Amino acid sequence: MGPYDSSISAPAGSSSTSSSACSSSTKPRQPPDQMDHLLAGAGYKVRSNDLHQVAERLEHLETAMVKSSPVEISELGHDAVHYNPTDLASWVDSLLTELNTNPPAAVGVPTDLPDLHPFPADINMYSNNPPPLHGEFSQQVVTPLEEDVSIRLVHVLMTCAEAVQRGDLSLASLLIDDLQALLGRVNSVCGIGKVGSFFVDALSRRIVNSSQNGVVQDDLSAYENEMLYHHYYEACPYLKFAHFTANQAILEAFDGQDCVHVIDFNLMQGLQWPALIQALALRPGGPPLLRLTGIGPPSPDGRDSLREIGLKLAELARSVNVRFAFRGVAASRLEDVKPWMLQVSPKEAVAVNSIMQLHKLLGPGQPIDVVLDWIHDLNPKIVMVVEQESNHNQSVFLDRFTEALYYYSTMFDSLDACTAQPVKSLAELYIQREICNVVCCEGSARVERHELLATWRDRLTNAGFAPLHLGSNAFKQARMLLTLFSAEGYSVEENEGCLTLGWHSRPLIAASAWQAVPEPSATMGQINHP
Amino acid sequence: MAKIRENGEVNDNDNGETESFCINDHLDLLIEVLKRLDGRSLGAAACVCRQWCSIARNDSLWEHLCFRHVSPPPIGVRPVVSALGGYRRLYMVCVRPVLSRLKRRRISGESEVVRRVWNQNEVELSMSLFCVEYYERLLVGGGRVAGDSPASSLKFLCMPVNV
Repeated sequence: MGPYDSSISAPAGSSSTSSSACSSSTKPRQPPDQMDHLLAGAGYKVRSNDLHQVAERLEHLETAMVKSSPVEISELGHDAVHYNPTDLASWVDSLLTELNTNPPAAVGVPTDLPDLHPFPADINMYSNNPPPLHGEFSQQVVTPLEEDVSIRLVHVLMTCAEAVQRGDLSLASLLIDDLQALLGRVNSVCGIGKVGSFFVDALSRRIVNSSQNGVVQDDLSAYENEMLYHHYYEACPYLKFAHFTANQAILEAFDGQDCVHVIDFNLMQGLQWPALIQALALRPGGPPLLRLTGIGPPSPDGRDSLREIGLKLAELARSVNVRFAFRGVAASRLEDVKPWMLQVSPKEAVAVNSIMQLHKLLGPGQPIDVVLDWIHDLNPKIVMVVEQESNHNQSVFLDRFTEALYYYSTMFDSLDACTAQPVKSLAELYIQREICNVVCCEGSARVERHELLATWRDRLTNAGFAPLHLGSNAFKQARMLLTLFSAEGYSVEENEGCLTLGWHSRPLIAASAWQAVPEPSATMGQINHP
Repeated sequence: MAKIRENGEVNDNDNGETESFCINDHLDLLIEVLKRLDGRSLGAAACVCRQWCSIARNDSLWEHLCFRHVSPPPIGVRPVVSALGGYRRLYMVCVRPVLSRLKRRRISGESEVVRRVWNQNEVELSMSLFCVEYYERLLVGGGRVAGDSPASSLKFLCMPVNV
């Protein structure tokens, strides 16, 4: 605080941050220890020699409140201890310590303040914060200076996206250079720096390739896809939540059935099914005959990877004495699957399981309608739909970009809790591919067309499905699963019979269950639900 | 009249024989004692000698450890658990970390293992996680792996809790 203090002489008791004239000559001198009499007239008690500090902190508080989501502000109401606001200095301090776990240890110079006094050339002299620590503390130590850079980064990202939307590619390229510079100044291990770099990368790809009518993402081999997926599964609980919730719902739907058939829209390595097989093995009354049909991309080099997974699952089922049959359906896109390939027998109870697959059908041509129709015709006991809870399917690019920025920032925040490498990096790569698809691609190349739960509800209701409430067992199990994860920020919520998992009450993934309503004729949009 | 000597031997004067009580001669008693231990002590007991090692590795002891506080006790679980790797592995890989995490969340401030009653949900969750872990080892290849370290998806249970 030394150099800063000495450059401000005592009489500069300007009481507002936006006053452009540090007109010490026009203000009457006040003894420094007394309460500022102008503010006292308004009901606030501030000592004169505290005024500039309080002003700084109010500015800081304002940026912090504007930057943080409204949710965090409501948390302020519940948990924070607020002092009497007439004691302005400590009130602001109490709010600041709630918002930043690290109270500003030094007076960082906000760059938006007009020149009250001459700046020395080296701004860093003012901030005597320690350098940001890596590891699990990194998300909590943010210097005031860095926060400004983060805010600026977001600002420029938006401006650049807007330029891209307008078609002003030259401006956009210049902004990309700005962004790269900003990224260099911000901590890129965590927080906005990390996710920001992915968005900058995606934007620059879009700008470069824009003349070629949208970017086509390089296809990864099936093996690489599975590997990234597996690491995403390990690094954060979203997929585990999806699997466990789906299994619980399917288990309950299969109660009393002797012949059951599960159709998995994306088999991957079949990580979801061992738990279901084991739960069926242990159910009172003994296990049913379980058929599993797994849909997946065809494998290039003659290996039948679907069949290999099927064999492993069969081995597991045999160990626990569950009669099991597997069938693989190789299709590169979900809309290529036809119902006859699934060979559903009328005597068995059918469950359809779609973990983050249905949104891929929302592209041009809307194959979703056809697919929902044949799902409905299978007369399933339960259709499990788990989707990302965000609206990334907006036609206006800027809206989509903004929404994706907030969504993936939250997701990366939650990922910070995982520290194991290379799990974390590969999980981030998985997410990065999603980001790239949402931002860069258009038309049929853009498959990550996430939509909100409310939209899915309408769509499924119009297609002839009725919601099944996920029971309290699923909720309890999800809660328990989350307590096993080391980060405290996850939250499970129930939303009209559906479960959502989120980070600090921003839902990120939503699971819902549906059953087919038998209809006399195929009608669209005429079903009323309370 | 029996005199008790300093070294703990019971001396029966009548027939002049010394009877020393050695737990190793009474394996049923040993097992009864071991049944009441917690996991760490049971593991330590397995390090005493070869005989104790073979006894302490008996899966039924670990079954007792896993589920003795489950109310009501789960039925029909044994063949499934045996197929997936046995109770000792279940304890090491799932039960112990799950219990300590759940306990730490609910009762902050108490240190050692608290005897608490599981509920059915916790048992089911542990079993599911155990099954996933078995499957992951299958995926990696080699069927039953002798090592005690869990497969990748359960590593999150071993990570330090960010309190």
